Amino acid sequence: MNLNKILLLLLSVVVLSACVQDDDFETPNVTIIEPILEGPVVTMGSIVGDLIQQQNEDDNLENEVINFDNETSVVIYDFEGGNSDFIAGYVISSDEGGNFFEEMIIQDKLENPTIGVKLLIDVNPLFTRYEVGRKIYIKLDGLAVGITNGLLTLGTNSGGGPDKIPATLEDATIFRSAETGTLVPLPLEIIEFANDKTNLFIQLQNVQFNRDEVLGEEPNTFAAEPLDEFDGERILESCITGSSTIFSTSTFADFKSLLLPTTSGSMNVILTKNFFGSEFNVSINSPADVNIDSGDRCDPAEFFTDTTVNCDDMTLPGSNLLLSEDFQSYSDTGELVAGGWTLINIGGGSYTWGLDNFGTNNYVIANAFNSDENNIDTWLISPAFDLDSTAEDVLNFDIQTNFDGGEVLAVYISTNFIDIETDSNWSLLEDANIPSGPSGGFGNFQAAGPINTSCIIGSSARIAFRYTGSDSGITTRYHLDNIEITGN
Amino acid sequence: MRKSFFILLFAMFSVLTSFAQNTIVKGSVLDGTTGEPIPGVTITIEETGQVVKTDANGEFQFPGIVPLGEQVLKVEKIDYETKRYPIVVNEGKTVDISGMTLDYDSSDKKDLFIISISDDNLNSEDDGLTDNISGLLQASRDVFLNAAAFDFSATFFRPRGLDNSNGKVLINGIEMNKQFSGRPQWGNWGGVNDVQRNQEFTMGMSANDYTFGDLAGSNNIIMRASKYRKGGRVSFASANRSYTGRVMGSYNSGILKGGWSYSVLASRRYGAEGFADGTLYDSNSFFAAVEKRINDKHSLNFTIIYAQNRRGRSTAITQEVFNLKGNTYNPLWGEQDGEIRNSRVREISEPIFMLNHFWDISSKTKLNTNVAYQFGSIGNTRVDNGGTRLVDFNGQSSYVGGARNPDPSYYQNLPSYHLRFPNLTPYNYQQAYLSEQEFRNDGQFDWNALYQGNDIARNQGGNSIYAIQEDRNDDTQFSINTILDTELTDRIRLNANLSYRNLKSENFAELKDLLGGTGFLDVDFFAQETAGGTAVSLEDLAQSDTNNPDRIVQEGDRYKYNYDINAEVISAFTQAQFKYTKIDFYVGANFSQTSYQRNGLYENGNFINNSFGKGKQLDFSNYGAKAGATYKVTGRHLIDVNTSYFTKAPTIRNSYSNARQNNNTVTGLDSEITQAIDLSYIYRSPIVKARLTGFYSGFENGTDVGFYFTEDLAGLGIDQGDAFVQEVTTNIGRRNIGVELGIEAQITPTIKLKGAASFGQYTFTNNPNLYLTSDDFEGELTFGDGTTNLKDLHVAGGPERAYQIGFEYRDPDYWWIGATSNFFSNAYVDASGLRRSTNFVTDYDSLPINGYDEDIARDLLQQEQFDGYMLVNIVGGKSWRIDGYYLGFFATVNNVFNESFRTGGFEQSRLGTYDRVLEDTSRPNGEVFGSRYFFGNGTTYYLNVYVRF
Repeated sequence: MNLNKILLLLLSVVVLSACVQDDDFETPNVTIIEPILEGPVVTMGSIVGDLIQQQNEDDNLENEVINFDNETSVVIYDFEGGNSDFIAGYVISSDEGGNFFEEMIIQDKLENPTIGVKLLIDVNPLFTRYEVGRKIYIKLDGLAVGITNGLLTLGTNSGGGPDKIPATLEDATIFRSAETGTLVPLPLEIIEFANDKTNLFIQLQNVQFNRDEVLGEEPNTFAAEPLDEFDGERILESCITGSSTIFSTSTFADFKSLLLPTTSGSMNVILTKNFFGSEFNVSINSPADVNIDSGDRCDPAEFFTDTTVNCDDMTLPGSNLLLSEDFQSYSDTGELVAGGWTLINIGGGSYTWGLDNFGTNNYVIANAFNSDENNIDTWLISPAFDLDSTAEDVLNFDIQTNFDGGEVLAVYISTNFIDIETDSNWSLLEDANIPSGPSGGFGNFQAAGPINTSCIIGSSARIAFRYTGSDSGITTRYHLDNIEITGN
Repeated sequence: MRKSFFILLFAMFSVLTSFAQNTIVKGSVLDGTTGEPIPGVTITIEETGQVVKTDANGEFQFPGIVPLGEQVLKVEKIDYETKRYPIVVNEGKTVDISGMTLDYDSSDKKDLFIISISDDNLNSEDDGLTDNISGLLQASRDVFLNAAAFDFSATFFRPRGLDNSNGKVLINGIEMNKQFSGRPQWGNWGGVNDVQRNQEFTMGMSANDYTFGDLAGSNNIIMRASKYRKGGRVSFASANRSYTGRVMGSYNSGILKGGWSYSVLASRRYGAEGFADGTLYDSNSFFAAVEKRINDKHSLNFTIIYAQNRRGRSTAITQEVFNLKGNTYNPLWGEQDGEIRNSRVREISEPIFMLNHFWDISSKTKLNTNVAYQFGSIGNTRVDNGGTRLVDFNGQSSYVGGARNPDPSYYQNLPSYHLRFPNLTPYNYQQAYLSEQEFRNDGQFDWNALYQGNDIARNQGGNSIYAIQEDRNDDTQFSINTILDTELTDRIRLNANLSYRNLKSENFAELKDLLGGTGFLDVDFFAQETAGGTAVSLEDLAQSDTNNPDRIVQEGDRYKYNYDINAEVISAFTQAQFKYTKIDFYVGANFSQTSYQRNGLYENGNFINNSFGKGKQLDFSNYGAKAGATYKVTGRHLIDVNTSYFTKAPTIRNSYSNARQNNNTVTGLDSEITQAIDLSYIYRSPIVKARLTGFYSGFENGTDVGFYFTEDLAGLGIDQGDAFVQEVTTNIGRRNIGVELGIEAQITPTIKLKGAASFGQYTFTNNPNLYLTSDDFEGELTFGDGTTNLKDLHVAGGPERAYQIGFEYRDPDYWWIGATSNFFSNAYVDASGLRRSTNFVTDYDSLPINGYDEDIARDLLQQEQFDGYMLVNIVGGKSWRIDGYYLGFFATVNNVFNESFRTGGFEQSRLGTYDRVLEDTSRPNGEVFGSRYFFGNGTTYYLNVYVRF
């Protein structure tokens, strides 16, 4: 029957013709093949060298290291049609968690890195191509290197310094090596932070978030507090040195709402700078980089300061020296500490009283100006002296008040201070009047005292000078010298 | 029943005219090719308008009194070329004109437009912009509706401003409109065109034997085995619009011994890409029907339709993208291993099974009972770029990862984005230039980048970052109805229909492809704790299902959302049709009870007490009434009027504000009230046929739910205005008013001229209520008095004005050609409701925006009207008869002059405030978030070659 033939024909036509790609696509081979580079690979050190040379030319200097404050000198790579140089590096940043955006930080080696550079690129996401530990080559032709925001930066030549490499040039600029490895973070202390250590993958050991960040009713989040704008900046401090830095997290980070850990431990971070390039910051790729879950905290003990003392005026002070200090025997703060003095900043920053001299005269100094710290609460605590067996004891000291913008110095006395890890009670010596000084220059040393302390009883008494200036507020500069306690 | 007219005539003119009771006009009609009798042919005595239809043997006889003298019989049937036979009727004599032949109409126009309709439907986003009612109209012989179906459909012209959901499609008497959207899913019966030639179309709300109907008309497709002409047909089609090729073969047995008949069809449609790049087409359709005539009174028919269709989609683009890439550009595809791969594929597979019982209770009463069962799925794929991994941090969960939208036409990839600044540097121009070059030269989806990303994630032990998500809608529907048709008297006919429908709709996302990864973490990457903090933590909020937190899903698993909707509809319809000498009229009424209930299978983290389990049951009682009349001034001049008033339950999609996440039903949800009237003057002479209609339809209490991302919600605080929202608009009032005209003139036996025009205005009549919901903020967000200023704006959806002139030449030597020129204008962009609410003038702090200038605002909110355009279409064909086989071809070229035009578009609500919209529209180098448009096809062709036997 015709019908059968025709249906058979139709069937075969249907089967034979008309193949449409079905939806079972094979997973394509995405293995990375080592690229063949059309040009030599130079060290990252060479771009540093190029920049130093450019800076020296621009400023007529002969430096051997980069001037990280020079944000105007730029090296532009133009190989004029010839083979471009390439640099190689290992990716240390990841935008997977949203904490980095349209930038990628690379360093020269997986272990013991010496140079790191920030690459600006108008691409998001990057972690889907450049995972942490991946070796990449960057073609320098058309790129510019310079200092932006205080960091060594590589980007496209926009005419005004390095800028984001256009997304369309990504493939022609960045080449992925088949090589990938595990980064070994460089152990570093906060006090060792330096410009030449920026853009490196480092490990901070025995650190904790400042008690004001985490010991409240509920710990702060990484970056989801109402006042966080762009970045959440948290104070991170070292239990070893007591110094602190800013732990910065983008408010666009996926993990911004996590609560900060309350204990101490270690973390792997990238050493970078804040947006203004003025201060070191550390940032993480993912919360997994923070390994703080059980270590004991190392907070300084609490200084209770809610009492005042006033022993009234005294007619005849005693003449035995209980404490006498002219600071002439010290050459640095380490020796001062060894001599029984305690220097501490309980405001969360790292600025403390220091030793200074004018001519041959040594004295101690507190000065918020250019300290970069706005919450200074630094105490200069004397060695202990015995007030139990004495009477008619008084305090005398010399003080020079300079660039006076307001009084930010107070004198306290304690009878139970042991060390900074133990709570202590401090009473304000109401009689200690801090003289005012010129607002626009240096004043002269003046005698402050005598201040009667005879109403205070204790075998281990100490006096303390508390300075609470602020770089953004009152920066009054004080010099102290010839601190004496006398009694009978 | 028009004999009554003659009874009246007789009464009036009996003195003047002599009639004899035994004058008879009878005859039979045969197929010109096969010689088989043709049933169902309409025979009309032109002078008087008396009508009869041929029976199963192709025979007819005019009952009662016939006019005497020279008369013309018009012999017509859908799919056949109409013929006119002159006869002479002598008193008392029998005129027997047996053996009249009708030739099969080789134009096959219907194929073309059925295909294009179902394709438009397949490609539609269910956005109401791209759907088209012309599928309904194909069965009409009305001149205007023919123009609308064949020539206007390419540009989404909507007759009377009505869309798909305003028309009813029935197969064997069972309503096929989806409860979800109210629209017929044409893809469910696509590719079976050869067995869909028997269609009964009712224009507008006029009387229909099966259903109460709807404003755009009702179409019953009869797919009964016994109703097919014996014979087979094999055809091959080539085209460049949606598919590139189609093969189809069918065979119908006719009525065999023992009363059996059967019909089978198989077809395949295929194409690597249609007019839009990368739109694959892969469809197989099967149809089988078998019918047994048990005895004179009972017939039982069983029909299966299985049309499986997979289609790559395209999308609306901005003017900037169009300027760079042209009207074939489609950002949704990219190459993978040298093959085109489309990221958005729609797959439909919903077989239909039907059992139909036909019972001729008497010669005047018929009862038709139908049972239908349909199941299967509709799936739409998309790329999910929100893959994350769980990082546990001291007992707290965080989800890191997720990637940017990989759409190559993403706004940040376009030149306008780089040139958005007021002061441009050479660097900006460089970036703009490079992005333009990249977009021009490539601009396609980068599948390899997705696999690379997942490969890196997998090597580090992580989950897929990218995956293919398929949004699934798996419906199981059972319908039963019974339809009564009885002639109460010679003049009065009664129709009734009682129906029940039960739908279980499973809605979920399925992980279709991990793109090389090992698993996908089922959490909401975009979940954010609301500012100020809530009692719920991120790790709860982000969960798709808090009962199975942090689940890693594999290919084939359900994820993201999972819920059922159970729907039940009971309806009753009755109608009486009266036929008198001068006037025919009808009245009809219906009543229905609809209920919906959502049953959440996941407990969404954002809606912990309001997503799992059954939600509130929604119940709607609806009723309607209609009436109409045709007044026959003479046989040539008729006045026709139809009126209706009815309420309609909202569709499922408009009943829930965000069914994927919660049980919330739309606040202020109500049945839409429709009232409509149309009045026509119809003229028909042997040469000229014309219809002029004025129409009015009013809609009240309409509801619409839309989804979008916006950056500019006022009053939520600075930088807190971003949200993915559901926009719920209720109490929508609309008015469609206009006139339409169709005229054709058979100026010679071979040449026919035709013209059509539609002049309408489709506008909002009030300021509807608008509120937003989202998982980014609590409750319902309203602006100002809670309304949006849409009053007097145009309802988007195709041109409001359309005009056609054309001709057809039909050579006696079996070839023909026709051409039409079509002009369209007054199409409007879909206006953003958010921009026209008080949100537009409100700043983030709830205070008025500084520097607000009402005159500028008026300009910004001026509804864009698209330019008019002209489309010229040419059709033609030829057929040969060879040894009992019939061979022919039919070809058409649409948009001959490759006119570029917009068929529709919508404003993006991404920017929703005065200052942001002003900033964006003032950019000298183009808007970043300009309106998106659908562009019409350029020149396309369709060629069909077939053999019949």
